[in-house]
This record gives sequence, structure tokens and C-alpha cells, in this order.
Amino acid sequence: MAADSEPESEVFEITDFTTASEWERFISKIEEVLNDWKLIGNSLGKPLEKGIFTSGTWEEKSDEISFADFKFSITHHYLVQESPDKEGKDEVLEDLIPQSMQDLLCMNNDFPPRAHCLVRWYGLREFVVIAPAANNDAVLSESKCNLLLSSVSVALGNTGCQVPLFVQIHHKWRRTYVGECQGPGVRTDFEMVHLRKVPNQYTHLSGLLDIFKSKIGCTLTPLPPVSIAIRFTYVLQDWQQYFWPQQPPDIDALVGGEVGGLEFGKLPFGACEDPISELHLATTWPHLTEGIIVDNDVYSDLDPIQAPHWSVRVRKADNPQCLLGDFVTEFFKICRRKESTDEILGRSTFEEEGREVADITHALSKLTEPAPVPIHKLSVSNMVHTAKKKIRKQRGVEESPLNNDVLNTILLFLFPDAASEKPLDGTSSTDNSNPPLESEEYNLYNQFKSAPSDSLTYKLALCLCMINFYHGGLKGVAHLWQEFVLEMRFRWENNFLIPGLASGPPDLRCCLLHQKLQMLNCCIERKKARDEGRKTSPSDNVTNTYSGDAGKSGDHLGPDNLKDMDKEKGEVGKSWDSWSDSEEEFFECLSDTEELKGNGQESGKKGGPKEMASLKPEGRLHQHGKLTLLHNGEPLYIPVTQEPAPMTEDLLEEQSEVLAKLGTSAEGAHLRARMQSACLLSDMESFKAANPGCFLEDFVRWYSPRDYIEEEVIDEKGNMVLKGELSARMKIPSNMWVEAWETAKPIPARRQRRLFDDTREAEKVLHYLAVQKPADLARHLLPCVIHAAILKVKEEESLENISSVKKIIKQIISHSSKVLHFPNPEDKKLEEIIHQITNVEAIIARARSLKAKFGTEKCEQEEEKEDLERFVSCLLEQPEVLVVGAGRGHAGSIIHKLFVNAQRAAAMAPPEEDLKRMVPPEERRQNLAADFPPAAGRELILRTTVPRPAPYSRALPQRMYSVLTKEDFRLAGAFSSDTSFF
Amino acid sequence: MDEDVLTTLKILIIGESGVGKSSLLLRFTDDTFDPELAATIGVDFKVKTISVDGNKAKLAIWDTAGQERFRTLTPSYYRGAQGVILVYDVTRRDTFVKLDNWLNELETYCTRNDIVNMLVGNKIDKENREVDRNEGLKFARKHSMLFIEASAKTCDGVQCAFEELVEKIIQTPGLWESENQNKGVKLTHREEGQGGGACGGYCSVL
Repeated sequence: MAADSEPESEVFEITDFTTASEWERFISKIEEVLNDWKLIGNSLGKPLEKGIFTSGTWEEKSDEISFADFKFSITHHYLVQESPDKEGKDEVLEDLIPQSMQDLLCMNNDFPPRAHCLVRWYGLREFVVIAPAANNDAVLSESKCNLLLSSVSVALGNTGCQVPLFVQIHHKWRRTYVGECQGPGVRTDFEMVHLRKVPNQYTHLSGLLDIFKSKIGCTLTPLPPVSIAIRFTYVLQDWQQYFWPQQPPDIDALVGGEVGGLEFGKLPFGACEDPISELHLATTWPHLTEGIIVDNDVYSDLDPIQAPHWSVRVRKADNPQCLLGDFVTEFFKICRRKESTDEILGRSTFEEEGREVADITHALSKLTEPAPVPIHKLSVSNMVHTAKKKIRKQRGVEESPLNNDVLNTILLFLFPDAASEKPLDGTSSTDNSNPPLESEEYNLYNQFKSAPSDSLTYKLALCLCMINFYHGGLKGVAHLWQEFVLEMRFRWENNFLIPGLASGPPDLRCCLLHQKLQMLNCCIERKKARDEGRKTSPSDNVTNTYSGDAGKSGDHLGPDNLKDMDKEKGEVGKSWDSWSDSEEEFFECLSDTEELKGNGQESGKKGGPKEMASLKPEGRLHQHGKLTLLHNGEPLYIPVTQEPAPMTEDLLEEQSEVLAKLGTSAEGAHLRARMQSACLLSDMESFKAANPGCFLEDFVRWYSPRDYIEEEVIDEKGNMVLKGELSARMKIPSNMWVEAWETAKPIPARRQRRLFDDTREAEKVLHYLAVQKPADLARHLLPCVIHAAILKVKEEESLENISSVKKIIKQIISHSSKVLHFPNPEDKKLEEIIHQITNVEAIIARARSLKAKFGTEKCEQEEEKEDLERFVSCLLEQPEVLVVGAGRGHAGSIIHKLFVNAQRAAAMAPPEEDLKRMVPPEERRQNLAADFPPAAGRELILRTTVPRPAPYSRALPQRMYSVLTKEDFRLAGAFSSDTSFF
Repeated sequence: MDEDVLTTLKILIIGESGVGKSSLLLRFTDDTFDPELAATIGVDFKVKTISVDGNKAKLAIWDTAGQERFRTLTPSYYRGAQGVILVYDVTRRDTFVKLDNWLNELETYCTRNDIVNMLVGNKIDKENREVDRNEGLKFARKHSMLFIEASAKTCDGVQCAFEELVEKIIQTPGLWESENQNKGVKLTHREEGQGGGACGGYCSVL
């Protein structure tokens, strides 16, 4: 080894620090690392506080070193302590033993709930481990182990490092370490025994005491007393009568049609399996002294009920299957499907209308065949159309993606107005169970860009989610969507407003699909108003067929209805030209205007306001305050005006793009203004119609009052008179306002050219809806589903009141609102949100499970109930929870009962022979006696301070930890000795 | 010409009719003043590239009509704006009093809540001032807006207002970065060419 220098060497002798062999290089590398990490010398920290191993932070530093070509990792694990005592580090205190040796005896942190195994076994606050770097590498042969250990020893000696240094030997899973700690004149050897089976003589305290004493080999009499800490751990797996309450929803009930549509608006919640799998009860005797208790192969004082300390931990099931999470995840998966609705349901429906009639059963069988169906595919609407209603009920239904009853239930849920005699007003919300408007929850759609929770869009999202999960998956989704689109068309054609949508123009804060539906509703509203405006027209009779039809049966997709839809379906394929049919309808309206145009022109020709004044005023809304017309003092009326065209965000984008494209030149600006002046012109015309003989000044006073400037002037007679005139900018010759005013004819709004072509817009929306693939649909509606899921989680949490969950939900909301606000959120981010929701669901399910198990609800005394609730919530959040009052406390007695019940059941269930064969006699002894099963693990820590190796050496800490489980027996000893004279 | 543009920002100018929205914009984009500027119909649109702290930003500025009747139309253009300039006329108290309505409107129609708002008191060149500077300041503070008084006629504060607004927007990275992926209003060019030079500038901003 290096530095083998002799102090009295001659001047010419060379001191050799070169490292020749691999071994020497290895050692010097270890020394280097120890030096780098400043682990040299003795730094005495504070005595360890109780529980600091759990509450404190552990950190680790790692490096890699190699012995020849074998790589090791060297890692320093340490408890982060506040400002270590620097002075202590500088002066090495001769008579003080290293910190680690003192920690061996510290009893404040026995059995930490979560710690590195070496911490658990030896009570160390810091240590260095050298382990093979590769996971499957192992140091197996004894000579290699010894070589490593001696390297450690030399390195510690050379550097004066007082931190224990371990090497991991054998296979990694065995967690076998040997190590050493050196201090001035003292040394602790860390040794370990690891066996698969517990040798009989060591299954109890007395046997272990024997082995401890023999290892110490102390010849003093009487031997200083050995202090003992014991922990027995009992595992409860059988929860007996506390069966996991959550049952998967009964699908048959839905299919059977017994369940009301309401169920479709609800999301499922909870774990399908018990999210709490095991309860571990640790009974601890923290401080016993040898001789106080007896524990040998025939008798034991260690009754768990009598143990002074109880602590409990629960094992959570890994990724329990959670309904809500699954639900949302499955829905999200649709986003990745590429098929179009037609591909899923069958494409040829449009062309083959009628042709399939002959052999409907044959056609239906196609549906059940796997995906690539070559020739005729069949849509349900076609089937329904072609089949007689009876046939449909009897056999057709089973084979369509959606059971007829389910479909009807859903449609009734989505369109509750279909059930009532009279169609409801589109605006009225039918569900009263929703959060009050204006509440934070209700406005969540604003943040998520989803849709209000009482809207049709939102309900549709939930239904599709449900269908995807329980009723036919993707096919079911496609089917419902197709039905939905048909219903939309039906409503458009028959002037029935779509329920569950706020009236007014599309709400740009909602998802695009919602906007589209609102847009359609706007169109229907206008069409309806127009149709009602000319009741005389015979074509209006259609309006009345609906309610009767719907009233007949809850199934409002009656045959007539379906026929209608079918017709539409058939026409989709023919695309736009076929729509001209419906377009014609509106020419009547145009002819209407034509007539009026004549009227307008007439008066236009005459021009002057005086002649116009003789016209009959039309289209007045109400009087405008006390304003009067300037020329004749007649009251000024506000006219009925055309509403500006409603816009969805995509239309709006298109339009603003067009406007922007006009550029910033003067011509561009002019053109832009002209393009937007239609509304102004229309208003002017209405105004003129309502106020015959008016001037631009009159119009401006209503429309842009600040452009009419009034001044107080003193007239000839010396009176104060208000004199008004148009503002300078309105007086610019041939500015667009003047220009428009001059072209405007007195035509009331209802006879004007429509600013908004509802027919065209409605068809555009319907086409848009029809071409949405299920994946598009899922993307449109995912914000609604996430919105619903979060509301659900929130609702469930409010029942349990778990503060940590409240916090997480808040985070999820703010996170999702960021993600969902952008047009195409990344899948990864969406997945993350769904994952977070699932996690919260699992936490709540765990809380429920624990509450049920501990019967917090049944607890009658207020105080006890509170304590118990606190205890349960601690179980969720902390790795291990102390049971106040141990076995005698309230929680303790409940736990005791749980074990007793499990024991009773176990005693009845398995054949006795099995027990006898499997369980070692010692355990059987306990088994028979107690309310508890055999301990799953028994840990004992034996500690003492004795002089080693000779009676006259320094008295030093000795410690032995042992753990006994079914298939594991480990002794971890730390034996210190005085090295001064040896 | 757009190659070194860091980002395109959508700015909106709103306020009561006749407070000088279009004049402010015209002063800013063309550095001219026209006392007889026709009343805006619907929305108007101008583009200007400005440089703030060495970063070029292209501003797509939407000027809106202030008339009540147009208000059913214009809010559609609030979508996706990153900055809003709210203008009142310091010589007409009623235009100041109506500011609350405009803020409500913004709150209702803006699709995002981290938008930067600026309050501009216009026409300070006029003698008959009715709204004190302090009132404007107080209002702006209450609603966490930027505030400046300006005159489109004398050019006071106009340039400064726009620059300040843009700087603020750029300092709020979440506000404009995402807008690059977002399909906001697309202008004639797409600002994809973020060459080396621009990149340097990009880093210095953050």
C-alpha cells in the first residue's frame, strides 16, 4: 500500500505514493471519494430527536469506482441536519467515540416506518455503501468479500473517516451488507446473517439473547443489562363483514329500461376492488430490560394487546380499478380512432336505401361481423326505416350497436321535450340538480372551454361516455351520434328548438360543438319566427305533427320521424345540390320582400322627407325617450331591427381573416367598412320605416348620440336655445354613414333582406355535424367529460372532506384550464389530467374504505368520532400512524375486533391439518392462544455497552437487530471493540 | 421583412364612440392626425411592427366602433387578444363613467384572463378637461391596468402607450408564446422564420 514510509528514513530513500496494483488503486479511489465528500474526521451532530428519521429529509450522493474492470457504485446516505457542528469537525476529540457508534444505542428512532434498511437495522444517521454498479452483478465468493472488506478497512484507516462504510455482498435482493466503522482506538464491525428459515432455537427472545451474548463474548460478571426493543407486526388481509361496498353498476338494469334517463347524466365513481388491501398492526415494546419479561419456546409474556405502543399502516392496492378514471380513459381512447361514423356503421346506407329491404336479417348479420365488411353495410336508420316496427322490436334491435331501449332512454334524456305534449322552450333547463348559476362550479365551463353542466352538449358528452363504456363501445358512440345528427335535422326541418342550450348567439367560451348547436338553434329560432310570421303558407303545417307524434310513445323516433330522417340521410350523399329543395322554401320569403321593395322604391323615387312622411310608419319597437324628430316634432321611434348574424368561433376566425386580408390601405379600410355596413344599412332602413320623413340627424341621435352636438345658443330674441348639428366627422362629404343613409330605403326589418341566411348556416352546421368522426366528437367533448369528472370528484370529496384532496382538485382545475384552452391540446397533457383525476378518485375510495372498516359513521360519541376520523385521515397521509392508547384505546379496540373476527373466520375455514403442517410449533402456540394471527414479522433490537475484547478494554456500544418473518431470518450485528492494545 | 419578428400580437382598442380610438391608432401607425376621421363601422384593422427592447413584434390592431349598436357585433373580435387598450375622453366624463361597462364586456367576451389591459385617457390637448389624471390612475390601479394619458392630436403618449403595452405582454410569456401555436388571426405572413438573430433576442427576453 502507499505511504509505507518509515519516519526515520534516510534522505535519499524514496517515499512511494504510486499505486501499483488494482487493489491499491481501488483503495485510493475510495479514499479520494471520501475526501471529496468531506467525510473525514468526527463530526458530532445533535442527539437524534424522536422520529427524525421519518420526519427529516434523507439525501444521497453517488459516485462510481471500479476494481479492475468491475464497477462499483459508492453512495453516501445521510440525514440532512441543520448546520452540523463545524468546530467538532476540526478538532478530532480523542476520547469521543464516532457518532455512528453512539447512534447504535439511541432508542429514539427504532423501527422507522420508512427508511433505508441499514438505517432500520443499525439506527445510523449516515453511512456509505459500496455496491456492484450493475443490478445483476454480485460479489459472491468469500475471498472477494474479504478483499472488499479489507479495502474498506484500509481506506477508513488511511483517511480517518468515521462514517461507517458498508459493502454489499451476495445477490442484491438478499440485502446483505458487511461494514466497518473506525474511530480513534475503536472499531465497530457490522456483520450479518441472512437465512431463509428461522432456526428453531432463535425464534424467541431468549435464544436471540444467547446468540447476542456469545457474540459479545464478554467475560464480565455480572454482565451489564441488555436493553431490548421488540416489535411484532400483524397483518390483516381478511376484512370479514366489511366487504368492499362498491359494486360495478348493473348494466342489465339499464338495458332493461327500468332505470330512468337520469342515470345517463351521472358518472360512476369509486374503486371496483378494495383499494386498501392490508392493514399492518405493529405492536411495540420500546424499552424492555432483560429479565423483566419471558419469551421462550414454551411461554411468552409478549401479548400484543398488552404492548405499550401500537401503530398501524395500511397497504394500498396498486392502481385499483377506478370507475371514473376508466370511464374517462376509455372515452379519451376514442380520440385516437380514425374511422368515420359511416365506416363504423356502414357506408352504403345512403345509396342503397330501399334495396336492402328484401333481406333485412341478412343485412343485419353484417353488422355483427368484424370490421372490414366489403359490400353492403347497413345503417340503423336504414334498418329502422325498412323494417316494420314490430320486426324491429323483436329481433333487429339486438343486433344494432345500441339496444333500442337504451337508445330511447338516452334520447329522452337528451331531449326531454320529446316526451311532453308540447315542445319545451329551447332555453329552459330541465335539470334542477345542477349547481346554482353564477356559482364557481357552474362557471367551470368557462375555464375548461366545455359547456354548462345543464346543457345538451354536456349531457351528450356524458351519454357518449356511458355508451362507450357499457353499450357497444365505438359502434355505440357512432350510432348515437348518427341518431343525434338526425334529430338535429329533424328539429331544424320542423321548427323545434333544441332543448338544453342557452338562447342567443353562440357562447364563444364554450366548446365549438356547443357553439354549433347554439348556432343551429339560432337558425331554427329565426326560421320558426319567419314561418309563424306567414302562417297562411300551407307548408307550415309540418310544425304540428311533431308533438302528436312524440306524445304517442316515449319513443319519439316514431316511424314518421324516422322516415324524415331517412330522407335526409339519403340526401347527404348527394351533397349540396339536393338541399336546394329546402332552399326553395325561402324564396317565398324573398317574393315577400320583392313586393316591399317596390314599395320602397316608390317612395325612394319621390325622395324628399316630406313625401316620405306621408308613408305609414312600420316596424316600431318603442319610443326613444322624449326625443322627437327634428323636422316635425313627431316622437322618435326606435325601430325593430334585424339581429346581427350569430357567429361560431370558426366562422368568426374566417371572417376576421377575410377582413384582415383586405390590408391596411385606405381602400382596404373602406372595403372593410363597406363589408360591415350591411348591419348599419339595415338599421337605417328600419329606422326610416319607423320614422317616416326622418333625417340622418335623427338617426344619429339614436345610433351614435355623441355625434350629434348640441350647443346652447342665444337666438335673436335673446332666449337660450339648444342648437344641434352633426359632428364634424359625420359631416364629411360622402362618408360611409351619409352614403348609407342616402341609399337606405324605408323598409321595416321583417321585410328586409336577411342579414343572416339561416337556411345556409343551418345546413352548414348540419353538414359539419354529419361529417364529424367519433374521434372528432370525442375531442370536441373531452373538455366536457373532464369538466364532469372534476365535478364528480369534487362532489364525492365534499362527502368525505379530505383536505389534501381539496388541494389536489384545485391544482387539477387550474392545470386543466391551461391545457384545455388551446385549440389542440397535446395528448400527453390530457392523459396527465385524466391520470390526476384517477388518482384523486383512488384517494377518496381509500378514505371510504377505511372509514367503512373503522366504522366512523357508527361511532356515537362526538369526541371519539372526531378522533377516529382524524386517525383515518392520518392513515391516508402518513406512512405509519400511532394508535393512541394502544390496544386499550378506541381505535385500538376496533382494530382488535377486526383481528378477532378474521381469526374466527380463519379458524372455521381452513382444515386444521393444514395449519399444523404449515406453521411452526412456536407459532401455533401463539395462534391458539390469541386473538391475533401469528406475527408476520418480529423485530428485536438488543443493545448493551460492554468492554471488548478484554474485560479491561473500553466499554463500547454493542447492538444486534434481528428480524424474523416467514421466509426470512436476519441478524444484523454491530459489535464494537477497543483497538488500542490489539 | 417579417423574418426577425418575434411574435404577432393581437391588440384591441375599445371605448365609447368619439373618444378617439381610431385617431390614436392612426397616430400610432401612420403618425398622422385627421380631425375629420369618419366614424368607424364595425371593426377596422391595422398592422404595425414595433421594436421593444430589441425584439420586433408585429401588432395586429383591431379598432372597434364604439356605438352601442355595434356592440353586439364587435365583441366577437375580442377572442384571442393579448392586449386591450381601453380609451376614454378626458373632456367627457360620461366616457369615463362608462368604463365599467367596457370592463364587464371584456370579462364576458375575452377568452383568456391573463390579458394585459391598458387605460388611455385621450385628448389631453383640449382645454375643457373633465376627468382628472388622478381619477384615471385610481381606476387603473383598481382594475390592475396600465395607465397613460395621451393626445392623438399632439402625439403625446401615443407611442409610449403601445410600447408599454407590448413590453408588458412580452414579459408575460404564457400570454404570447402559446399564441404562436394558437390559430389566432393569421396575417399575410406566418412568422415561422425565427432565424439566428431573432433567437438571440428571444433568449434575452426570458
